[in-house]
Amino acid sequence: MTGGSLTPDERVSAAVRLEKPDRVPVVPLVTAESAAGLAGITQAQINSDTNAALAATLKVFDEVGGWDSLFGGGVSTVAQRQAINMYPMKGLTPGKDIADNDVFQLVEEEVLLPEDYDKICEMGADRFYHEDYLWRIATFTPQEQPKVKEELKAVSRRYRTEFEKRGIGPFHVTAEMHPFFRLSLMRSMVRFTEDLYFNPEPVERALKAITEELISKQVHIAKKSGVARWMFVEERASAFFYPLSVFERFWWPYTEEVVDAFWAEGIVTIFHLDSCWDKNISYFRRLPKGSAIIELDSTTDIFRAKESLSGHLCILGDVPATLLSLGKPEEVEDYCKKLIDEVGGNGGFILSSGCAVPPDCKPENFRAMIETARNYESSRR
Amino acid sequence: MREDLGMAIADLKRDLVIEAVTQRSAQGEDPLAILEECRHGMTIVGDRFARGDYYLAELMLSAQVFNMAAGILEPYLSRARPSKPQGKVVLSTLKGDIHDLGKNILASLLRAQGFEVFDLGVDVTPDRIVDKVKEVRPELVGFSALMTGSYPTMKETSQMLKDSGLRGGLKLMVGGGVTTPMVKEYLDADFQTLDALAGVEYCLSVVGGGRK
Repeated sequence: MTGGSLTPDERVSAAVRLEKPDRVPVVPLVTAESAAGLAGITQAQINSDTNAALAATLKVFDEVGGWDSLFGGGVSTVAQRQAINMYPMKGLTPGKDIADNDVFQLVEEEVLLPEDYDKICEMGADRFYHEDYLWRIATFTPQEQPKVKEELKAVSRRYRTEFEKRGIGPFHVTAEMHPFFRLSLMRSMVRFTEDLYFNPEPVERALKAITEELISKQVHIAKKSGVARWMFVEERASAFFYPLSVFERFWWPYTEEVVDAFWAEGIVTIFHLDSCWDKNISYFRRLPKGSAIIELDSTTDIFRAKESLSGHLCILGDVPATLLSLGKPEEVEDYCKKLIDEVGGNGGFILSSGCAVPPDCKPENFRAMIETARNYESSRR
Repeated sequence: MREDLGMAIADLKRDLVIEAVTQRSAQGEDPLAILEECRHGMTIVGDRFARGDYYLAELMLSAQVFNMAAGILEPYLSRARPSKPQGKVVLSTLKGDIHDLGKNILASLLRAQGFEVFDLGVDVTPDRIVDKVKEVRPELVGFSALMTGSYPTMKETSQMLKDSGLRGGLKLMVGGGVTTPMVKEYLDADFQTLDALAGVEYCLSVVGGGRK
C-alpha cells in the first residue's frame, strides 16, 4: 500500500510500539461478510463457497489500493467457525436458514447447562467443546467435520499467500474469546447473568480452568505463528452491561493473567472491545506499557480513552458502522481526520472500522476511510 | 408489605419474591395490589439505574424476576377486574436481525409500568408490523437493532406506516447497539436511545403518564 516511507508492517509495528509512524496505519476489520457487501456478491455465496469469499476480499483490497495489515480471521463459513471453536453458538446460514443476502446470525439460546461448568473443569475446555458441546450446535455431522476443517485450512493458506504477494502480512494469526464472553455466548446472556448473581462459584471454577488452558495452548501457538500479536475478543463484560464489582471479580483478574503470560513472550494482546467501556478503560493502564492494543467499536468514547491511555497502550478504531452504512464519504473523511488529529496526534494509533466493516457499508465510504489514512497527513506537509 | 415485596424485587431476591407472590395470591389477596407492589419494586430499580447504582445486568435480572411474579399472578389477574393500560406499544426486531435482548428488557420494563406490549419477536417483516398497528392502534412503535442490515427494512416499515396513514397517530422509536441519531434521522423516527430506561421514560412522556 502506497502513501508513506515505511512498509505496511513497519508502520503498524511502530504504532503498536506507541511511536508516530510516517502516517497513521489503516487496518480495517474486513470479514468475508464485509467483503461480500463491498464486492456486490450475496452472503449466501460466501457461505457456500470460500473461494468466492476470498475473491471478494481480494477484489475489495485491490480496488481501494490496499490497507496496512490483515485483521480478523480471514474467510470462513458459519460451519467452519463452529468447527474451530470460533463461534460457540448455533448459527443461521444465509441461503439456507435465512435469505440469500441476510448476514449470518448467531442464535442466543441456552445451550450450555449449569452442570456443564464443572464438566468443563473435568474434561478441559477444548475437549469438552469438541467432544460434547459442538454436537449440540453444529450444522454438520461428525463424519463431515474433517472435510469442513480441511476446506478451511486450504482457503486460509490461499488467503495468506495471496496477501503475501501483495506485501501485506497478518495483524495477528491467533484469536480467542475471553473466557467470560465464551461462557456468556454458550450459556446465553440472561442465564449467564443469573449464574453470576445467584450461583457464581461454578462460573468461577470454569473461568479459572478455561484461562489456564488458554494460556497453556495459545501462547505457544501465537509464538509459533511468528506474529507477535494475538486477538482477545470481549463484547459483554463492560460497564454497559455489568457493574465494576462483576468486572473486577469475573473479568479483570483473568485478563491480567492472560496478558501477562503473552507479554512474557513478547506477544501483544489486541483487545477487541465492543460496547461501551468508558467506565472500564482506566483499568487497562494497569497492564504493562505496550503490552496491548485497545480496539474500540465507537460506543466507547475513543477520545477520552486516548486521554487515559496515551503513551501507554496503542488504540485502534473506530469509524462507526452506522456512519459507514448511512453516511456520506465527506462525513467519513471528516471523522477519520478527527481521529488522526486527536487520537493519532502523538502516535500509538491505528485507524480502523468500529468493529467489523458492516456488509451494507457504502463502497465510497470504505474508500474514503482508506484514502484519508493514506493521504491526509502528507497533504498537510 | 408493599415495601417488602418491592424491595425484594429491587434487591433481586428472586426466591423470596416467588415465594411471597405464590403464597399471597393463593391466600386470596388482590392480585392487582400485589402486581402494583411488584411495579413499585421496578420503579426502585429504575431509580437505582438512573443514579448509576444499577447496570443493565440488574435491569435484566429484575425484569426476569418481575416476569416470574407476573406469571404467577396471571391466572388470578385474568379473573380480576381489568385495568386500563398506560398505553399500547408494538415492539419488534426487524427482518435480517434476530437479536432481542434489548427489546425484551424494554418490553418487561414497559409492562412493569403498566403498558400493554405487543412484542412481535425477531426477524419481523414490515407488513406484520403495519397489520398489528392497524389492529391495536398503539401510541408507540419500537424497532430494535443490533445489525445495520435491518436499516432498509426499518425504513420500509416507516414508509409503509406513512403510506397507510398510520404514522401520524403514533410515535416511532428505535434503539439498540448500532443505532445513533443518524439512524433516527434516516428513519424519520421520533426517538432513539441505547438506554432501555430512557425508552420507558419516553413512552411515559408520550402517553402523559408518570412512573409507578
